[in-house]
Amino acid sequence: MKIFTITLLAGLSLCANPALAQQAGAPAGNIENGKKHYTTDGCYQCHGTVGNGAALTGPKLANTELPFEAFLMQLRQPSNDMAPYEAKIISDATVADIYAWLQSLPKSPDPKSLPLLTGMGVK
Amino acid sequence: MGKKTTDQAGLDRRGFLTGVAVAGGAGLSAPAQAQSNPMLMAQAQPAPAPAARPKAPLPTAAQTAAENEHPPHMEALTTEKTGSDFMVDVCKTLNIDFMASCPGSTFRALQESFINYGQNKKPEWLTCLHEEVSVGMAHGYAKVAGKPMAAILHGTVGTQHAAMGIYNAYCDRVPMILFTASAGPVEDRRPGVEWMHSVQDGAATVRDFVKWDDYPWSLQSFAESTVRGYALACAEPPGPILITADGKLQEAELSKKEEAILKIPKLTRGTQTVGDPAALKEAAKMLVAAENPVIIVDRYARSQEGVDNLVRLAELLQAPVVDKQSRMNFPSQHYLYQNARGGALVGQADCILSLEPVDLFGQLNRVRDQIERTWRRTSKPTAKVISLSTHDLLMKANYQDFQRYSAADLAITADAQATLPYLIEAVEREIGDRKSMFTARGQKMRDAFKAFAARAHADGALGWDSSPISGARMFAELWNQVKNEDWAFMSPNNYAGNWQHRLWPIEKHYQYIGSSGGSGVGYEPVAALGAALAHREIGGRLPIAIVGDGNFNMAPSVMWTAAHHKIPFLMIIQNNRAYHQEVMHIQRMANRHNRGIESGVIGTEITNPNIDYAGLAKSYGATGIGPISDPKELGEAIRKGVAAVKAGNPVLIDVIMQPRG
Ligand code: HEC
Ligand SMILES: Cc1ncc(C[n+]2csc(CCOP(=O)(O)OP(=O)(O)O)c2C)c(N)n1
Ligand SMILES: [Mg+2]
Repeated sequence: MKIFTITLLAGLSLCANPALAQQAGAPAGNIENGKKHYTTDGCYQCHGTVGNGAALTGPKLANTELPFEAFLMQLRQPSNDMAPYEAKIISDATVADIYAWLQSLPKSPDPKSLPLLTGMGVK
Repeated sequence: MGKKTTDQAGLDRRGFLTGVAVAGGAGLSAPAQAQSNPMLMAQAQPAPAPAARPKAPLPTAAQTAAENEHPPHMEALTTEKTGSDFMVDVCKTLNIDFMASCPGSTFRALQESFINYGQNKKPEWLTCLHEEVSVGMAHGYAKVAGKPMAAILHGTVGTQHAAMGIYNAYCDRVPMILFTASAGPVEDRRPGVEWMHSVQDGAATVRDFVKWDDYPWSLQSFAESTVRGYALACAEPPGPILITADGKLQEAELSKKEEAILKIPKLTRGTQTVGDPAALKEAAKMLVAAENPVIIVDRYARSQEGVDNLVRLAELLQAPVVDKQSRMNFPSQHYLYQNARGGALVGQADCILSLEPVDLFGQLNRVRDQIERTWRRTSKPTAKVISLSTHDLLMKANYQDFQRYSAADLAITADAQATLPYLIEAVEREIGDRKSMFTARGQKMRDAFKAFAARAHADGALGWDSSPISGARMFAELWNQVKNEDWAFMSPNNYAGNWQHRLWPIEKHYQYIGSSGGSGVGYEPVAALGAALAHREIGGRLPIAIVGDGNFNMAPSVMWTAAHHKIPFLMIIQNNRAYHQEVMHIQRMANRHNRGIESGVIGTEITNPNIDYAGLAKSYGATGIGPISDPKELGEAIRKGVAAVKAGNPVLIDVIMQPRG
């Protein structure tokens, strides 16, 4: 777990530059296959159907800024409560496909363009 | 003639009536048998036609008595006053507005007394289609009305049905006045079902999770126990109480002589427990001396006064509030409402004040859900912890809702809401003229708070146009339609992604009523029904419940009770077509066992066929809208729903939503 934390932090600092994050060792993934496995393998359950995240079950994953190694490490050795996904049930290649799909998702809209969202009581 | 079974008597009676009507005469034995059977007499009443009077005289009571080998006074078939009337008198002194029930013959006398003798007012009788609805309704009602209502449960089977709802209310520390009943002594019981529904100890099924119970054996005892029970139910920490109304006590005649000596004691509600002044002084010292104090609050406020006092205390100390949300405790738009970084704040705190914690251990520690259940303390081991709570005043051995033992450094056993004004005084004294000492801390809180809204908006923008619809989108569309109404949520936050508190200004105590207490699924629709009833009585409010599809299926008949009794509310089904909580659990197990990770939905999904919730609501006489899966259609659906609620209807909108949040 310690090792993971370090990797994660290193990953995050790399992510200051999004271009680097994209290149951080990510194998080219099959987006379509990734989309399929994101659902069949249960990621959607805790992270939302479009990687949108949910407050109590799992953080957002769409356009994840984690480098691929950190992403993969989270599946193999979850930092905390996430259900583990070992190579026996999900190969590195499939994880790469899921990663590629998450990276391919359109950027989330700017909240400023959503008055319905920003116009609620919370200022 | 010899004794006959009820069935034989029934046949005889039918034969007798035919005889009377057609032949105009009959032997004595058959009518005698029938008259001694009140059920058959009831059937017989509408039958006689004036043209077909019997020529032979009917038997006198004495003749019938002789026939049946018992004294003539036992042939008395009617009476104008029974024990059940007195029981109504007792309940009337308690100012109980409603009695929820699914009917059952063990309390038939009481029901008739309430609706006729008591004129169906205070309490008014409410028809529920399951006992879990009756008690769940009482649960939600009390949290809004601030006082208990009653529910009555058929002997044995009704109590069994109600058990989970009672458990929820017990865990949630919510008062309710419950009655059950039992047929009287053995020699009075009719063979068959009256035995099935009779019980030596009517409360045994639920004793572990009611605060108190009694089976009074006299009317005087019924009066004293019911009044005592009411007071106990309301004393902090509150909870359900259960009285068993004996069948014989209910149905037996109450003579003037007996009535004259009965006394209904007056209800005096005790004052609540307040913390020891020396302990409060000590707590004030610790809080004022702390560099990073945090207030964690859970099952604390029962009224606006509690909320306002907590605002005063937090402002005095400029201390952040981390809200565990078992009640509406603190305004979500106050800059000291720091839930968005609650974990970090608790981790840094050097002094923690925990108000009415449901789970003190859980507030300070974390247990990992992996094969090895490792746990670690999330607060500093050096942090001083003060608990102010009634937790230890109501604890039973069997059910484990008391959570893991965790010792505070200073444990003040007292009702936190009643104690807060005294704690505030102690803190004011401790601060003295150093009023500005916490200004810098307050500024930090303001700065942090500013970032929360931006983060909530950024998170809410994710999946904005997705179908299934995201939680943030649903709450935004809802806000847009109800922002000018006096809205109030009646459902918990946890499965709805916490958006209520992240995006809406929850300022008034009645705008949020916390969660189920015992996590017994089915709470959401039934508590909403009761809460909506309380809102209706107060008037002018728009009650809203966000209800999981799994929750709703436990009690869809709430829509009928709402339609029948004209209880308006807006219910949005957060339809993820699953017991989604359990989908995630099964996924976790499959992953852990390195197999079948695609099968987590077996036994947990509610699909194939999909349920037509709007159609279901309509079939119960309520308004049903949906299913809505396109976010662009949601605003209009909610607009229509709100209009129907304002016209007095219960409304269900089926929204196909993201699995969580
Ligand atoms: C049972 C719920 C659950 C499931 C299923 C699940 N996750 Fe997670 N995930 C979590 C939680 C909770 C976290 C937060 C970290 C932790 O507790 O381990 C997380 C964290 C992550 C992170 C780290 C995100 C970050 O920015 O730090 C990644 C990446 C991730 N999950 C990917 C996946 C993928 C890919 C799948 C499917 C193959 C998946 N998860 C399935 C619950 C889940
Ligand atoms: C009486 C009862 N049965 C089963 C459970 C286990 N359980 C916990 S959450 C849950 C799912 C509830 O479904 P729903 O209301 O649709 O919420 P979702 O998890 O789908 O968001 C179940 C079955 C329970 N807590 N109580
Ligand atoms: Mg569901």
